[in-house]
Amino acid sequence: MVLIPLIRDYIDRMLQDISGMKVLILDPQTVGMVSVVYSQSDLLRKEVFLVETVDDASSSRASMAHLKAVYFLRPSSDNVQKLRRHLSAPRFAECHLFFSNILKIPQIQVLADSDEQEVVQQIQEFYADFCAIDPFHFTLNIHNNHIYMLPTVVDPPGMQSFCDRAVDGIASVFLALKRRPVIRYQRTSDVAKRIAQETSRLMYEQESGLFDFRRTENSSLLLVIDRRDDPVTPLLNQWTYQAMVHELIGIENNKVDLKEFANVPKDQQEVVLSAVQDDFFRVNMFENFGDLGMNVKRMVDDFQHLSKSSQNFQSIDDMAKFVSNYPEYRKTHGNVTKHVALVSEMSRMVEERKLMQVSQTEQELACASGQAAAFEAVTSLLNNESVSDIDRLRLVMLYALRYEKESPVQLMQLFNKLASRSAKYKSGLVQFLLKQAGVDKRTGDLYGNRDLLNIARNMARGLKVDTKVCPHSYVTFA
Amino acid sequence: MATRNRTPLFRKYRDALRHVRAPAGAPSASSSSSSPGGGPAVVEMASLLRPDRNYAPLSTDDPSASSRGAATVGLPPAWVDVSEEISANMQRAKTKMAELAKAHAKALMPSFGDGRDDQRAIEILTHEITDLLKRSEKKLQKLSMKDSSEDSNVRKNVQRSLATDLQTLSMEFRKKQSTYLKQLRQQKEGQDGVDLEMNMNGSKSTFELEDDEFEDVGFTEVQMSKLKKSEAFTREREREIEQVAQSVNELAQIMKDLSVLVIDQGTIVDRIDYNVQNVAASVEEGYKQLQKAERTQKKGGMVMCATVLVILIFILIILLVLKKILF
Repeated sequence: MVLIPLIRDYIDRMLQDISGMKVLILDPQTVGMVSVVYSQSDLLRKEVFLVETVDDASSSRASMAHLKAVYFLRPSSDNVQKLRRHLSAPRFAECHLFFSNILKIPQIQVLADSDEQEVVQQIQEFYADFCAIDPFHFTLNIHNNHIYMLPTVVDPPGMQSFCDRAVDGIASVFLALKRRPVIRYQRTSDVAKRIAQETSRLMYEQESGLFDFRRTENSSLLLVIDRRDDPVTPLLNQWTYQAMVHELIGIENNKVDLKEFANVPKDQQEVVLSAVQDDFFRVNMFENFGDLGMNVKRMVDDFQHLSKSSQNFQSIDDMAKFVSNYPEYRKTHGNVTKHVALVSEMSRMVEERKLMQVSQTEQELACASGQAAAFEAVTSLLNNESVSDIDRLRLVMLYALRYEKESPVQLMQLFNKLASRSAKYKSGLVQFLLKQAGVDKRTGDLYGNRDLLNIARNMARGLKVDTKVCPHSYVTFA
Repeated sequence: MATRNRTPLFRKYRDALRHVRAPAGAPSASSSSSSPGGGPAVVEMASLLRPDRNYAPLSTDDPSASSRGAATVGLPPAWVDVSEEISANMQRAKTKMAELAKAHAKALMPSFGDGRDDQRAIEILTHEITDLLKRSEKKLQKLSMKDSSEDSNVRKNVQRSLATDLQTLSMEFRKKQSTYLKQLRQQKEGQDGVDLEMNMNGSKSTFELEDDEFEDVGFTEVQMSKLKKSEAFTREREREIEQVAQSVNELAQIMKDLSVLVIDQGTIVDRIDYNVQNVAASVEEGYKQLQKAERTQKKGGMVMCATVLVILIFILIILLVLKKILF
């Protein structure tokens, strides 16, 4: 059940039946989807010699009638309008249109109307409407998804488009996998209910013919959960490789932007972290920081050994061997430099922001109990100069989530201290968090302290002192 | 994976709309929406179309046919021919390499003959292949020098893909040559002993046929001829090995040049979105530069001088004509 080969297959099928030199035209979202799974050299092998976005003003460019155009777009009304403009003044010999989701009939009619010169050879729906980052992990890259936290009474216009995008993305995943799932959603969340109901309507009523696949033995399950039920996990500092890079530097579509950091070599300013193309990353994606450091050191030693052995040329044979292995050598060199740069940047940040201490306190807030000790720890870290603003905010939020009801006075003290330290984080932020995801809003037993049995168990555990860096495990597995 | 083909539906709408757009009587849009002959589907579609669109009737020599002709595959620019030549060359090199592999295998098999024909055939083939690869490389370099601006991206990408193919071909060729070299050297060490044996046997048989009177002199002569033959043989082998080594070096040079053009897989340069962004950025930059250049050119003194000179020329011509008339 891997997602990346699915999208690769779709793109292969798009390009293989069309002979001759081709141009691939994408929209800003499908560019991300395609770049994550397909590389430029793969495209060149398929004779696609130009990639453009559909926004480029078509009127100002000369016509290249020796190329055939392959359009891969999302079926939004924007794209249909831009396509109309393209079709009325076609620059290419033929047009093959592929849409990443279900087209509506009026859209087809509009396109048919604007195709006066009959350049369109085919229109197909290829359901690749998601960004497959890892083999078992995809994202829809919705940037304003905080909108679902506003109360549904208000019902902003962005909410409908957010739901639509989510439903479209989910539908395309299941169409690509050729399954129709059973849908379950979290009862207490309105957004989850809405998305689940719209998805179910799409799959079982509106397009039931399209979704009518052969029933397999273990049918799939679609579980729609609201993040507000577990607000603690995203607030913690992460210590596994991929999560840490995303937390400290930020990964977007498997690309990491290192431009803002000093002493990064020129060719490593923007790097690619992809489990498919990079073996070292695939092995070490989920390793914690300590093991990762050792593995990187081992990789560097191996590489130094390799480069030293290739330096002494005994005969023409050795030289010939070196020249023939040079591309491999260069690739390994680039890979080693990339990982070394990333790990060194991250360890510098850990040092600067004292993340070890901060993370220990965070883990204690998340797992152990003991309100007074926690209060002490949080206050001392708030006073510490080298802790960054965002970490202070996180600590106060975690404390507030845990000890919301226990001692409001101390909570207010912490709020004031936070506001005095970091001017941009007003205490209203933490209160908003409590309103959205406080004890009343959560359904599950996040901290394991709700029923009597758990309280007893916690008291017994509190008598033993056990320091571990990552004892927090995510609630989904509970 | 599921897909759905919407082409038949699209074609149906397109044909229907074409008929709506240009029936023989040439009604305008408003009347077509009210005409009863269209049927409900056509009426529905006509209402979708913009009301101000003017549907001109298709005349017999319709201009749309010529524009449709332009929509068929037009004449590609000249550099496409060059790229097709390069790929044809590489195809030829591939077939020749298959032949070369067969010739290598044949030459390495132990044979009683001199094997000189095989060697020559191998030499010729090697030369041809190196020639083809060198020519392809030169043409590839030429491809980048031409300065047509419009489809420079397409040209760059074509160049990159050809460079990758060329590099893999050269590497294959070099590997084949080096294995042949190695096996040749192994054989030389073993074969020299065997060859000397054969030489001795051959000369001994001729010796037995000769008269006994020449025994003493003949013996030394036999030794001398033996030595000479083995020397000549060794020299020939050395020459061959040198040639093969030389072509290896040439190919290494080609590979070094090509490695500049080829993309490294897995790096940021290999990402489609990075290239699309950069293209957009550089096109914008280029546009800005062009605008700036235009402005400076207009403002510049050059235009002023040129206009002044032209005016002067006119005035002088008029004076000349006047002079002719008056005198």
